[in-house]
Amino acid sequence: MRKVAVVGAGLTRFMRRAQETGPELAWLAASQALESCGLGLKDVDSVAIGTAPDAFDGVHMKGEYLAPGAGGWGRPVTRPYAGGGTGVLVPIHAWFNVASGLFDVCLVVAEEKMSTCHPHPQGAFVTIFDNILERPLEPNLIWIFALEMQRYMDTYGITKEEIALVSVKNKRNGLDHPSTHVAEEITVKDVMESEVMVSPVNRLDVSPVSDGAAAIVLVSEDVARRISDNPVWIDGIGWNLDTAYWTNRDLAYPSYVERAARMAYKMAGITEPRKQINVVEPYDPFSYKELHHLEGLLLCDKGQAAKITADGVTQRNGDMPVSPSGGLLGVGNPIAAAGLMKVAEIFWQLRGEAGRRQVPGQPKVGLAQAWGDLMQVGTVVVMRVD
Amino acid sequence: MGSSEQIDRVTDLRAWPGEFPVSHLYTMGIAGERFFRELKDNGRFLGSRCAACDHVYLPPSIFCPRCFAALDEWKEVGPQGTVRAVTTAHRGVDGTTLKTPETLALIQLDGADDLLTHRIKESEGLEIGARVAPVLKETPEREGSILDVRYFRAV
Repeated sequence: MRKVAVVGAGLTRFMRRAQETGPELAWLAASQALESCGLGLKDVDSVAIGTAPDAFDGVHMKGEYLAPGAGGWGRPVTRPYAGGGTGVLVPIHAWFNVASGLFDVCLVVAEEKMSTCHPHPQGAFVTIFDNILERPLEPNLIWIFALEMQRYMDTYGITKEEIALVSVKNKRNGLDHPSTHVAEEITVKDVMESEVMVSPVNRLDVSPVSDGAAAIVLVSEDVARRISDNPVWIDGIGWNLDTAYWTNRDLAYPSYVERAARMAYKMAGITEPRKQINVVEPYDPFSYKELHHLEGLLLCDKGQAAKITADGVTQRNGDMPVSPSGGLLGVGNPIAAAGLMKVAEIFWQLRGEAGRRQVPGQPKVGLAQAWGDLMQVGTVVVMRVD
Repeated sequence: MGSSEQIDRVTDLRAWPGEFPVSHLYTMGIAGERFFRELKDNGRFLGSRCAACDHVYLPPSIFCPRCFAALDEWKEVGPQGTVRAVTTAHRGVDGTTLKTPETLALIQLDGADDLLTHRIKESEGLEIGARVAPVLKETPEREGSILDVRYFRAV
C-alpha cells in the first residue's frame, strides 16, 4: 500500500437553512479544497462522496445528485455510507483509492442539507428503528441517546453537570470557527435549565440540524512531495460495526469505537495513544458522546472522561485538546459534512493553520472519529505531520 | 424456493403499516432562484455560459461541472426551441392509466446546449426536429416554477 496525504481542505459555513442546493454547497467546499492546494479539477483522478440518508435531501441518488458539484463529472465516483459515521468513512474510502495505486488524486466531498426535510429530519430517522418492534411506539431519535446516556451515567456514576461541561467547552471553542452557527458562551447552569428534550437530554446537550459541506484532497506520496511543503499523512484508518439491534449491546461503552481505534492505532504504530496523540476530534452530536468516545478511543480510562474534562485536560490549552474546532455542538451538524469537518480540523491543526483555534505545542499526531447508523458504527483516522 | 411464494396477499400476514413521515421543500439554489425569478417576472429563460468549455447550461449553474469555474455570464436562451425527443405517456405518476394521454418532449431552447423536459399540447404528429414555443401563464398567475410554462406547442 502507498502512503496517502491530505494536502487541502475546504468548508462552507454551516447554516440552519441554506439557499444553495446540495450540489452548490458541494462545489463551494470542493473548489475551495482544490484551490487551497493549487490543484484544479483537471488534476482529480477520482471522487469520493459522503452524505447521509437520502431522505434528508429528499433525493434518491444523492451521490449522483451531488456529483457535478463534487467534481464527479466524467470521473470514477463512489459513495460510501455509514449514517453519521459517513464523514470519516469517506476519507477512509478515499484512502483505498490512493493507497491501492489506482489513483493519485482523490477529491473527498461530504454534504448534508437537512433543512429540505419537513417537518423535521426526525421523520427520516424513524426508519432506522425496528419497523415491527419499535416504530409502533412512535420513537424519537433522541430516545436512544437518552437511554444510552443513562446507561453511561449509571455505570460510571457520572452526573449531568459533569456532562454539561462538554457543551460549555465546545460551544465556546466554536466561537473561533468561521463556519459556526451555534457557538455561544454558556454555563453548566444554562445547559441544565435548557428545555428537556428527552430526559436526561436537554436542548443544549444536542447539536443542531444544519446544512453545509466539507471537502479534502487526498494524494499519493509522489504528488504530496511535489505540491506540498507540509502534507498531513493518513497513518491509520479503522472502522467497525456492532450489532444492528441497539438493545443487544453494551450501551455504557462503545466497544465498536475501541475496535476501530485499535485497528487504526496498529496501522499507525500507535502503542500509547494517550501519549502519542496530541489533538483529538471525536464525534460529539450529544455532549455525553464526546466522553463516551474518548473512552472508546482508549484516550482515558472507562468512566474517566468526565473527570479529565473537569480537570481541563481537554481544553485547547490542556494536555490533550479535544474538539478544538468546537465540534458538532459548537460549529453545527450537517451530518456527513460535520464528520469530514473534523478531519479538516485535524489537517489544519497539524499544519498550524487553525488560526484562533490553534492548539499550542505544534501537535504532530491527531485523530478524528465519527459514529452513526443506529449508533453502532465507529470510524477513525489517525493523521500525522513530519 | 421460499415459502412466501404461496402467499397471494401480504395483507393476510401480520404486518405493521409504516411510512416516512416527511415532506420536502427543495430550494432552487443560487442559480435556480435567478432562473425562476426571470421566468416569473419577465417570462424569459436564462442560461449560464462557461467560456472555457463553450457550453451554455440550462437550467443555469453557478459553476461549471466540467472545469469547476465559477460562472457569472448569464445568457437569455429560447423562448423557441427544437424537439430532440418526444413521447406520449399513457400511465401516470402512480402507475395508473391516464384518462388523457400526455405528450412530453426534450426541447433544446435556442442558444442552450442542454435540453429541457416539458409537456407538449396542440401539436398533432409532432416529430423530432420540430420547432416549438412555450405557452406561459399570464404574469399575475406566475409563481416562479416550471409550471409557469403551461406547455410547448408547434410553431
